[in-house]
Amino acid sequence: MQRSLVIAVSALLLGAVTLWLIPAQAQQPTPPPSWKQGQPPSLADSSLAPIPQPPAPTPASEIPVNKIKLPPGFKAELWASGISNARTMTWGDKGTLFVGSRVAGNVYAVVDKGGSREVKTIAKGLNLPNGLAFRNGTLYIAEISRISKMEGIEDKLDSPPELLTVYDTLPKDLPHGWKYLAFGPDGKLYFNIGAPCNICMPPDTHANISRVNPDGTGFEYFAHGVRNSVGFDWHPVTRELYFATHGRDWLGDDSPSDRLDVAPKKGLHFGYPFCHQGDTLDPEFGKGRSCNDYVKPLLKTGPHVAGNGVMFYTGSMFPPEYKNRAFLAQRGSWNRAEKVGYRVMMVTLDGSGKVAKYEPFAQGWLQGQEIWGRPVYTQMMKDGSLLVSDDYAGAIYRVSYSR
Amino acid sequence: MLVATLAASSAGVFAADPEAGRRKSEPCAKCHGADGNATIAGTPSLAGQPTFFTHWQLIKFRDGRRKDAQMSPFAANLSDEDMADLAAFYAAQRPRARSSAIDPAKAAAGRELVTRHHCASCHTPTLAGQKQVPRLAGQDLQYLLKLLRGFKAQTASDLDGTMTMAAQPLTVDEIENVAHYCASLRP
Repeated sequence: MQRSLVIAVSALLLGAVTLWLIPAQAQQPTPPPSWKQGQPPSLADSSLAPIPQPPAPTPASEIPVNKIKLPPGFKAELWASGISNARTMTWGDKGTLFVGSRVAGNVYAVVDKGGSREVKTIAKGLNLPNGLAFRNGTLYIAEISRISKMEGIEDKLDSPPELLTVYDTLPKDLPHGWKYLAFGPDGKLYFNIGAPCNICMPPDTHANISRVNPDGTGFEYFAHGVRNSVGFDWHPVTRELYFATHGRDWLGDDSPSDRLDVAPKKGLHFGYPFCHQGDTLDPEFGKGRSCNDYVKPLLKTGPHVAGNGVMFYTGSMFPPEYKNRAFLAQRGSWNRAEKVGYRVMMVTLDGSGKVAKYEPFAQGWLQGQEIWGRPVYTQMMKDGSLLVSDDYAGAIYRVSYSR
Repeated sequence: MLVATLAASSAGVFAADPEAGRRKSEPCAKCHGADGNATIAGTPSLAGQPTFFTHWQLIKFRDGRRKDAQMSPFAANLSDEDMADLAAFYAAQRPRARSSAIDPAKAAAGRELVTRHHCASCHTPTLAGQKQVPRLAGQDLQYLLKLLRGFKAQTASDLDGTMTMAAQPLTVDEIENVAHYCASLRP
């Protein structure tokens, strides 16, 4: 009953979005490409534009892994390469690392052969398959408007089973339509439905974090006013949801900040499109609003840094003070004259959940204004070392620690 | 300056060899021309196309995301290196105008549509293309029509959906006008 209502409402709103994309009269101006939308006329000549994804991964011999700078005692090595557009990483029960991508349209399985890694493409031609989650032998894959699954995949890496649909009544909008996917402590699948624009009044179905049972029932919105969050995790002790959000573009080099938030319960509103970074009203949509009506960020992570992966460290390889720290992978800016981000930051929380320290962990993908890689997500290995995916070079690095 | 920076950074991503690309392009010459300037109506010219664009299209043919009876078998056995070399070769060739039959009235109407629909945002003001975005200026009329109609019908392969979205507001006549305008420009 509830599900059919959701479907009906989604269908109505999808219709509304379609109408919004197709003006009734062709004489009306159409919206610019989504990345350019919201650009003020004063910046019409700006040469800033999203950085294109290279068509092929960088050959291993040309990846300058020694340029990755880490705190003393830590070491980075190239763990796997040749994985075009490598982004999210999730472990199978039997030790397979599954890797998602965006424009490459592929899902990969990386098998550790001791000294080397074998990369198999287990699905291709998918619609921006960024979201991956694994439970009880089943791999869940989130594309733009569909969550599907492969059962028993780890025993069939060379002849992957067909994708079975879990839930496919999601908006089809391309802008911010790709998803992060993860199992919450409640056993539900969490994912983002981003705003279908840079800045706009989103339909009620968008700009949120949602959740659904792994059998496709019980869909509901969890957090509202979230422009686009493509990375989140739950605190190992409090089990509260922490998520990164990309701020809007074209409001200047230093405004607004991206953010890290915590959502201790369902139903909170985090401000988009009315209020940015907890204290800055949007020039258009903020009129008549107050930032005090929305949840403020736990941490302003910096303008345009493009915070993607959020992961709490629970391993035992790193020094004891690293326990329960959050690693934030920042893919790096495009909408800023001088590039920022392109690094993995770490956040230390104090006993009351406030941010005690925010500092770089891994950097060096940005050299001057040239980039050779973009860190997107982190994942822990069994031994407590840290994997970092790089969608630009198509590589995964392993960071380890020894005294 | 911008072009120089882009060239430098894309070279860092894959050390492509245009001379090797020339040798590898021999089977392509029959349709696309020895220097990437095709003369068969409906077949695109590749000369002067940005390297990322050609490389991405070859990958899509290999993946099966873009399908064509002639191109798909050619791309099936190409390595990433082959593709990078081919893309570098074609990018270095000088594009020539096609002998499309342009209707000046349609081209004039298309010029306004190109402005109204923000085509220059990605294709650049001269429609010469950049990075992963193709050159439209002086491309074959029939090819442009085929692609635009495909994007409108949501059947043409699109790297990330941008063109499918952009083509939705265009009417059948407007697609003709835009194609005539693009084809009329000097490459």
